[in-house]
Amino acid sequence: MSIVPQIIINSIIAGSLYALVAMGFSLIYSVTKFFNLAHGVLAAVGGYGVFFFGRMLGLPVMVAVALGILIATLVGWLLERCVFSPLRSRKSSALVLLVASLGAFTAIQALIALLFGSQFLTLAPILEGGSPFTVAGATITDVQIVLVGTALAAFVCVWLILKKTSFGKVVRATADDEEVAKIVGINTHKVIGKTFVIGSMLAGMAGILSGFDTGIEPIMGLPLLLKGVIAAIIGGMGSVPGALLGAYLLGFSENVGVWFIPGEWKDAISFSILILFLLLRPFGILGRK
Amino acid sequence: MEYLIHIAIFSAIFGILAISLDLIVGYTGMLSVAHAAFYGIGAYATTLLLKMLGLNFFFALPLAVVITMLVALLIGVVLSKFKTDYYALASLGFGVIVYVVFQNWLQVTRGPFGIPGIPRPDMFGFTFVENVAFLLLALVVLACVYALARFMVRSSFGRILTAIREDETAISVFGYRTTSYKLIIFTIAAGMAAIAGGLYASYITFIAPSAFSVNESIFILAIVILGGAGSLRGPLMGAVVLVLLPELLRFVGLPSDIAAQMRQLLYGVILVLLMLYRPQGLVGTYKL
Repeated sequence: MSIVPQIIINSIIAGSLYALVAMGFSLIYSVTKFFNLAHGVLAAVGGYGVFFFGRMLGLPVMVAVALGILIATLVGWLLERCVFSPLRSRKSSALVLLVASLGAFTAIQALIALLFGSQFLTLAPILEGGSPFTVAGATITDVQIVLVGTALAAFVCVWLILKKTSFGKVVRATADDEEVAKIVGINTHKVIGKTFVIGSMLAGMAGILSGFDTGIEPIMGLPLLLKGVIAAIIGGMGSVPGALLGAYLLGFSENVGVWFIPGEWKDAISFSILILFLLLRPFGILGRK
Repeated sequence: MEYLIHIAIFSAIFGILAISLDLIVGYTGMLSVAHAAFYGIGAYATTLLLKMLGLNFFFALPLAVVITMLVALLIGVVLSKFKTDYYALASLGFGVIVYVVFQNWLQVTRGPFGIPGIPRPDMFGFTFVENVAFLLLALVVLACVYALARFMVRSSFGRILTAIREDETAISVFGYRTTSYKLIIFTIAAGMAAIAGGLYASYITFIAPSAFSVNESIFILAIVILGGAGSLRGPLMGAVVLVLLPELLRFVGLPSDIAAQMRQLLYGVILVLLMLYRPQGLVGTYKL
């Protein structure tokens, strides 16, 4: 049996997960112009939200998932309102915002570990375990199908919102030039807040799906964040289709790379790709200079 | 008493790390999140020279510093192409790559198992087994690093670094090759971090990759920012405060794994609050 189909399926699964993180990260960057590193920890917040409501309180899965997404969204929005927004109004540099988001990341991650312990936990028991499907000689579980579907659906939704709605127009205007957007009467403060809501929602979904797929641990946010950032940069910072493209490229290069190099070196491969891109094409594939 | 000495030794080691990182972050204005990598390379190089070649600590350490500086030079050449937040991101990338190498280069680093049984330094037949003796050694090294850093930042070289931080374009118009300046200070600071790594390895007598992870880089950065970037006393104070504070939590009776999480929670919150209310830190001059 050839392993090619399995590698392709694995690449698509990994790419979908990275895409969920990367799209939100890129979207937030497009309107705020800073690297929001706290984005990754929202995935852990979502995953632990589901664990808390589903396993500890015993609520139905769908309710737990909805509450998990809600909590991640809320935390993301609160960070924007209580930390990033005051910093922006003080005209702090992008570096100050980056350091603040790094601090928020560390603090929230430690808080989760204090509340739930730092060991690896599984979410799977609260989902009815269906048997894995076989597609063209490759195995894929129901959770992974949902993951791929969610990523694609999220992309279509975000893309439609950006291109077809008046809110999308306002977001694009803010991304182009916040000052000018303000002058023509756009409440950029509100727009950025709403963008954080969308982005954080996507990050929460990523954490929850990754939790159902493998499991949750407090430090799960960092690898997800790093992959999301790399995907966003490969695709072009601030471009949502770029983030999707970058995520699948990263997923493929990691999983194909495992053919030649042992799997433990995955992270080294993806960061080498990041540094190469930063050097040769810092604005990414679809980004603008 | 023994416990206080232990804390003092750690403060000295992190003091060296913070002062050296401050040369990059505070004086030259490059936000590096890769410092734990050089700390780790120094620690591993010292350990291997001590255990495989059986060198004396006082020969092994300078050699380890040279090795680390060579690696830093290579990384620095790539990093010097970036500015501000992209610099931070690329340095983070190198931090992770070096960490992955520590984890997976099993033949050399033994991966996650770490390397036990590292000897304490000895000099003319005197071995620094007692922690008091080791503390003295650490303090002497710290004083040397401090003096070197102070000499550099007060020289014309240091003034050019500060000028690069304030306005790189302006200073390059005057004909200074800013890239070489940035590369030199980055390499020297990495060498200093390697000294801290060597001290750490021979003090704890055991090293494992987890001591040199990205989290550790963030911790060192937090020390610099808390104390105040762009001053030398600041990072020193920051090191004492951030090493001491979590220890106090342990006194209140928290178990050590919870205390470790409290330490992270604490410095995460400190970073956020500092950025909001005092971006120049306790005594610093430079606001990122």
